[in-house]
This record gives sequence, structure tokens and C-alpha cells, in this order.
Amino acid sequence: MNDLYLIGSLPGWLVALIGVAAAALLLQQFIGLKKRLPAGQSSFLTALRALVYGVLIFFLLGPALIEKRVTKLRRPLTVLIDGSQSMGFPASSRSAPGDKNAKSRIDLVREKLTAGADQTLLQKLTRDYDLKLVRLGTSLEPISSASLAGLKPQDPGTRLLELLQTAARDNTAPAAGIVVFSDGITNGDKKSLEGGPVLNVPVFAVGVGEAEGFIDVRFAKVGAPEFAFRGREFKIDLTIQASGMKGKSVPLFFNRGKNIITTRTVAVDADPFEQKIALSFTPKDLGTHGFSVTLPAQAGEQITQNNSKEFKVEVQRDKIRILTLSGSPAWNYRFLRMAMKQDPLIELISFVFLRTPTDTVDVPESQLSLIPFPIDDIFLEELKNFDVIFFDDFSHRAYFNPSYLERVRDFVRDGGGLAMLGGPRSFDAGGYGESALNEALPVELDGKGNYQAPATLNVALTAAGKAHPITRLLPDPKANEEAWSKMPALTGMNQVRAARGETLIASTGEGGGAPLLTIGRFGKGRTLALMSDDAWRWNFIAVGNKESPQNHLKLVRQAARWLAQEPSFEQVQLRPIAAAQPGEKTQIKLKVLKDDFTPTRQATVQLRVFSPEGEPTVVAAAADSEEGEYTGEFIPTKEGTHRVEAEASLGGKVLGKDRGSFTVAFAYGETDDGLPRLDLLKQIAETSKGEYFSINDWNDKALERIAAKLESIAPSQLVERRQTRLWSTLWPFAIVLALLSVEWWMRRKWGLI
Amino acid sequence: MLRRNFIRLLSQGVLGSALLPELAFGNHPADKRRLQFVFAQVKYRGGDWNPHPLSVTPLMEELMLRTSVEAATVRHEVSLTDRDLFNYPFLYLTGKYEFDPFSQEEIDILRRFLTYGGFMLIDDALGQQGYGFDKAVRREMLRVFPGNELKRLPAGHAALRSYYLLRRVGGVRIVSPALDGITIGNSTPVVYCQNGLCAAWERDQVGKWTNACTPGGEPQRRDAFHLGINLILYAMTENYKDDLIHVPFIRKRLTR
Repeated sequence: MNDLYLIGSLPGWLVALIGVAAAALLLQQFIGLKKRLPAGQSSFLTALRALVYGVLIFFLLGPALIEKRVTKLRRPLTVLIDGSQSMGFPASSRSAPGDKNAKSRIDLVREKLTAGADQTLLQKLTRDYDLKLVRLGTSLEPISSASLAGLKPQDPGTRLLELLQTAARDNTAPAAGIVVFSDGITNGDKKSLEGGPVLNVPVFAVGVGEAEGFIDVRFAKVGAPEFAFRGREFKIDLTIQASGMKGKSVPLFFNRGKNIITTRTVAVDADPFEQKIALSFTPKDLGTHGFSVTLPAQAGEQITQNNSKEFKVEVQRDKIRILTLSGSPAWNYRFLRMAMKQDPLIELISFVFLRTPTDTVDVPESQLSLIPFPIDDIFLEELKNFDVIFFDDFSHRAYFNPSYLERVRDFVRDGGGLAMLGGPRSFDAGGYGESALNEALPVELDGKGNYQAPATLNVALTAAGKAHPITRLLPDPKANEEAWSKMPALTGMNQVRAARGETLIASTGEGGGAPLLTIGRFGKGRTLALMSDDAWRWNFIAVGNKESPQNHLKLVRQAARWLAQEPSFEQVQLRPIAAAQPGEKTQIKLKVLKDDFTPTRQATVQLRVFSPEGEPTVVAAAADSEEGEYTGEFIPTKEGTHRVEAEASLGGKVLGKDRGSFTVAFAYGETDDGLPRLDLLKQIAETSKGEYFSINDWNDKALERIAAKLESIAPSQLVERRQTRLWSTLWPFAIVLALLSVEWWMRRKWGLI
Repeated sequence: MLRRNFIRLLSQGVLGSALLPELAFGNHPADKRRLQFVFAQVKYRGGDWNPHPLSVTPLMEELMLRTSVEAATVRHEVSLTDRDLFNYPFLYLTGKYEFDPFSQEEIDILRRFLTYGGFMLIDDALGQQGYGFDKAVRREMLRVFPGNELKRLPAGHAALRSYYLLRRVGGVRIVSPALDGITIGNSTPVVYCQNGLCAAWERDQVGKWTNACTPGGEPQRRDAFHLGINLILYAMTENYKDDLIHVPFIRKRLTR
């Protein structure tokens, strides 16, 4: 279709002036002609000229023909469908709790998109727009219309705000608008619109789920330490949130395993409701303990997954707990106590038998400070809570039944440490040759060994002692040997038949070579035998010789650490493993030392990772560039605490083992809060100049409104104009020429020319 | 010969070896078989370092009778400069009169001895505060630990409950109802009694008490023995009785 437009550039007044001038000329011509011709012929000739002038003036106005061509575009439209786990929650807050037939939020989205008599709404969208269908969760994943039916709410998180920005900035196919179907639950890095960039594409948010009448009580936050120390209280900070439960009281259970530790009652006095609660627990046993906090499912509550939280706490010792039993007050006890009491890593519980059954007292028992030795408490109850037990010149014979020593033996077999220090009540002299403890000791007893008091007893490090961390008093091997050579002589020694374990120190000189300090392993535990009650001389006599007492103190402390299997004294040491997410590569690093405590690259390392259900996975570990360091890689697939066991061997001999654990968890907490955040969706729609719809309003009218909105922002019709300027053609000149030719011909006929 | 010198000879075994062979040899400090404790008495210049030479054996006998400690019944005499001083972590310093100041070497040795785990019981045999032995002891201890003078120990001090639960401080006479001491950190390496413990402990060769205890008589003597035993056990176990496991038992007994 062509339209005529006057697009001349001459001003109107000039054209009008030319018109007036032309009229004047015509008038003058008419008057001139009338003198020579009749009125009819004069008028005819004047009319012809008037036509010529009219045509010329018309073309001065710039007449042009404009042709309009309209093209309609298909807008690019991105439809995001929230496929996170929260979309599996019931769509209606009126659904009966536990009703498996209740429609989920994603079911409702699917139903609404595929509704329609002739054409579904999805088909209409496909018809009207260049449609891109995308699943939204922790990432964006394009899906086809056909796969909509099989779309499951399985994403562990919803990075709604971040991914909307990503979709809006899609440079490959910029969208004219975004339609997002979601419950508004977002748990990415951004939780609100504040501070974020404005969306440059209109977002039409379709809210799924009902916030009105939504009943839920949940743990919004559980702050529990990953590690705790035995005997020390640790705290658990809980944040409890509730919706639609005003006026109700909810019991809270804090359990360890299946045993209830404590209960509380949470009085819900507001809607929405939030309360912070602190719980505490003092662990007594080492190891990994599973705890849980639970809020029983309440009437009308549809989402119960968030009513319970489980967590694990690794209970470690903050101190090495040592029990010493001393047969009598003695200087050896005095200086042993000094070494341990001054060590912040050691917690010492000691019993000194101040009186034997044959000693008599001259006052009533009430005037003595002696306390009864709690045999049953120690050997039947508390022994497991100690890391190391020292028998310091102590004989059980006068005090308790030898069967209690079986407990001590089992304690060592299960991983405890045992040290026996010499004296007239120790080893064979104390009757241990016939006891259950004999097999655990690192020395062989035959019942014949005596306690002897040679005048002087000098000692020297053995080859094993030169490398062992117990006897390494100084880092430099030569300086260490020299320090040992300067140790004051001892004056008392227990004879033993032979060393069963590794001898670190032996006597020298006449009759030398007898083991003096021997270590060994029994079951999972470690044992140490020091065949003298004179070790205090390495401290106090050294002080008298103007030497340092530190060698003795260090020896005692290092022995305690080695017996307690302190990690720094282990040949296989697992490094702490960082928390991971399912599907994420996790590095497990460890250090391996040889028997002489130097690092080795030749060890065979076996790593086993146990899933939360206890399924083992063998992980290959390879030596790193750094000597003694090994690394294995593992990709966890499940959330929960994973246990790691490491074992290293060299030349067929096991160097040691270590255990550790790490947590695997998604960082989102998708199912923690099922309350739809429709307010957030409204905000998104408003700030992006889009529009919010409830899923119930998702119909043809909604499509029309979307279309209108998009149209108002950017019309979908493209108009192409083609202009033809009439004066640029031959037609004006031909008309003028024709008119003038007629006039000329008439003038000639009528004799004017 | 002075009576004191005569008794000293006796204590050194000139006569005692015939009368009490076991005391002289079988349980002598030099024979360390099974001996956990040796009572070492400090010899010094000036004054009288040995006013009651027979006082130690009764205490040691009492110690072995009442407790599990195996001790030498005969004391060991030692000077602060002796090479074997540190073989004896328990030192006993007594006297009646003012004595010569310790040499600087002796002061240094004593400071080292007491700082690193040694213990010294000081006993004023004269019992005159600010005079004689008391004056000299306070002067010398101030040299050993400048700025840390002898102070009264609290009634609940671990030394008063290391074996017996003591409410009184015994001695041959009651000059002070409490003990003085020097405390470093959690430890009290120096305890000073002004009531003449050694005179209360002393018994002659035929077993008679040498000195009468006034005004309390035999119960007061018994308190002196109890204190002696407590201080020896305190030296060997330090604050053992302050350990938490003992506290409720002791508190219960003390409140009876």
C-alpha cells in the first residue's frame, strides 16, 4: 500500500507567495487574451496555463509516494522450570500430610504447561515465540518439550537469582523475556535481590506452592562442631523456625545414637516464628559419635524431612589421660609427676599407695588423708577413659585380685598404652611373671628376675634408640647421643629374661647390655618397660651437675605421647581432609615414616574410604614429590561422614595405620525450608519490569498479558517504508510539457502565433 | 667431752653399732637397696647444725611403721657444697644459734636445688623468733630467693594433709601454731617450723624421750611426728593430695 506524502523542503510561505504570483500572472494573461479573443477561448487558454502553474506549485510541495511493508517477528522467550528438590513438596498447603497422591509443585507446573483443549499452553508458547525450555537448579540445563513429562525435582539446590542473571545475559540467544516457574526457594550465594545487578530482561515469575496456610516446623540452622574434646562440654546452636503454628508447643529431642540426651519444649508464640536454642554435651568416649536433633511431625505439617538433623562429632582427646599407680611415695614418682604435671597435654590421675596393709597407724582413719583405692571404678569403669597407665614400682599383690590385670591387658590390646617402671615391687619382683599382664609387656619375665642395686649403672642408646622418637632428646643424632652419654648413672635395676620388643636403652660397663628401656606393641596398644626406679636421677642429679633437667622431662613426655599414639608420633599420619560435596574430587594426603622415623617413598599405601553406609572403596595412593608424602583421590557420591583408613607397609612389614574422616554435603540445604518464597518472585518480576502470576492464573490470559507486556516494551511488528519522490520522475515534466503544447497549438489555431 | 658431742658419737655408730647393728649398717644411707628415702641433714659453719643428733632415727622408724616408705633409719650429713648433695632431694636444716652466712656458691647451689625439685625442712631448735637460728635462716633464705620471704602457710596446705589430716603443728614447744614456707608456683620447696621438731623426735639409746614437750605433752609430740611424716611425704609426692580425686574425701573427713 502506497500513501502520498508531501515532503517538500520549501517553506510554505514561499510556495504561497509563488502561488499568488502565479495567480497574478494568470489574471494578467486573461486580461491580455480577452482583448484579442472571445471570452470562452481566453478562459480556456488561461485555464490551461493555470493547470501548468498548479502542477509546478504542486511539485514544489515535494509530493512522494511511501510504501509500508509490515514484518512480524518471533520473539526469543526462555522458560525456566525449577527442578530442585523443593519442587517435590506438595503444591497445596491443604494437601493431607503424608498423602503420596498429593500433587507436587513440579506436577502442577507440568499440568499447567500441558493444559489446553486444542493446543497446550506450551504449544502456544512454542508457536508464538522462539522458545527455549531450561531446567533450573544448581545450574541451567536445556530440556526439550518432550522431556517435560519426565522432569524430576532432583537438583540439590536452587541458585535462582544467580541463574536468572545468567539466563538474562545469554549472549548466544538473548531472550526478550524470561518465564520462570518456581516456588521461589533459593539457596545459592545470593538469597535476596539487594545489592545485585538489575535484570535487563523482563521476568514473568509464575509462583508455585502456597505460603498461606503452610504449616512447618524445622531446623533452620544446626551449628555443631566437627571435633570436640573428651571431657569438655561442646555446644550445639540451633535455630528453629515455624510457620502456621502459633500457639503450639513442640518438643525437641537431642539424641546420641538412639539414646535421648535431653529434651526441650519450644513454645511457638509468633507466625512466622524463629528461636535460637543452645544445647550442650560432654563426651566421655573417644571416636566419632552420631547425634541428632528431632522435632516430631506436627499436625498438618506436610514437610517432615526438615524436622530432624543428624550430625557427627569426632571426639578427640585434648589431653593424654594418664593413670599412674605408684607402690609407695618415691623420688621417681615425684619427678615423674613433675614431668607430667608441667605438660599441658597431659592430664594426670595418680594413686600413690602411702600405706601397705602391714603398716599400722596411731590415729583413727578419719584423721588420715588416705582415700580407698577405687579398684572397681578404675578397672571396671574408668580404664577405657585413660590413654596410658603407668605401673610405677607397683605390685598388685597386696591390693587387688590379679584378675583385674586381665582388664589392663585387654585395655592395651584395645589400643591403650602401658608403661611399667622398675623397682622392688615391679616386674618379676612384683609378681608380674605369673600375671595376665606378662604377655602384654615388651620384656620376658620368668619369675626369677630380681631388683638389684649396683653402685653405678651407666646406660647407652641402642641402634633403635638412636632413631626412636622416645629417646630422641635432641634433633641432631650426634648431639642426642652425647646427651645420653652424659646422663647420670642409675643405681637400681630390675632383671628381666630378655627383651620381647625393641630395646632403646641398654646398660653398659660390667655386665652391660641388659635391656633398660624396651618398647613393644600388644594388639592395638603399645607398651614400655623401664627396668629402673632411678630415672629421677636423670633429672635431679643432672641439675646438680649443672646440666638441664629437660632430658628427663622430655623422655617422660615423649614416652607418654608415643604410648598414647599421638599422631605426631605415628609412622602413618593422615592429613586433615577438607569437607567436600558429592561429585567433587577429594584429595586424601598422608605422611609415611620408616621405622627409624625418616620419610620414605617406597612404602605401599592402601587407602580405604568407607561411605556413610559403611561400603568400602579402595583408593590408590601415589607418592608425591615431597619425600614421605602420598596422595589419593576419591570422588564421593553421597552426603554424610566418610571414614578413611590408611595403612602403609614397607618390605612386607606394616609400618602403621591411621584413621580419619571427612564430611560430604551439598552446600545448599534445599529441603530445609519448604515455605514458598512467592514474595521474592514478585520482587523479581517487579524489578525486571515483568509480571507475577500465581500458577493458578497460568492460562491463555496470562499468555496474552505476557505478549502485551513484551509488546509494550518492544513491538514485535517491523514496518519497512519505501519512498518514491514524484518530482524525481518524468511525469511532472511530461504533464507540463503536454499542457504547454496544447496551449501552443490552440494559440496557433486561434491565430495568436 | 660435751654431752652433745658424746651423743653425736653415738649417732655415728661408735656405740650404736654394737647395740643397734641394723640401724648402723643394714639400713644405712650408703646401702640403697630398696631405700626410697634418706633423711639428709645440712651441715653448716657457725652456730650449731646438730643440736639433737638422735632425733632422726625415731622419726624414720615411725615413718616406716606408719607408711609404705622404705627409709634409711640413719641420717645422712651433707654440706651444701658436697658433690652428692643432689642424691638427697630432702634436706633438713636445724640449729639453735645464728650461723655464718652461706657462701655465694652455697646460695646458688641451694637455689638450684630448691628450684628444680628439692625440698628443705627448716626446724628452729631454739624457738626464739627474730633471734639466733631464726634470724640467720630468714636472712639466708632471703638471699636464696630474693623478694620471696618465708610466709605463713595456709591451714589447708597440701603439706598438712599429705598423710595425716593435721590441725595442729607439734614440736617440743609451741612457738608458732602454723608453718612458714616459701612457695614457688604450685610448690612449696621450703617449709619452716619454729616449734623444735627435732627435740620432740629425739630419743636416747635406751628409748626414752630426751625432751619433754610443753605444754601439750605426748599428744604434742605425736603431732610433731605426724608433721615430720607429712613433710617427708609432701616432699616425695608434692601436691598429690591437692589432686581433684582426693578433695571430696578430705573435705568430708575434715568436716566431721
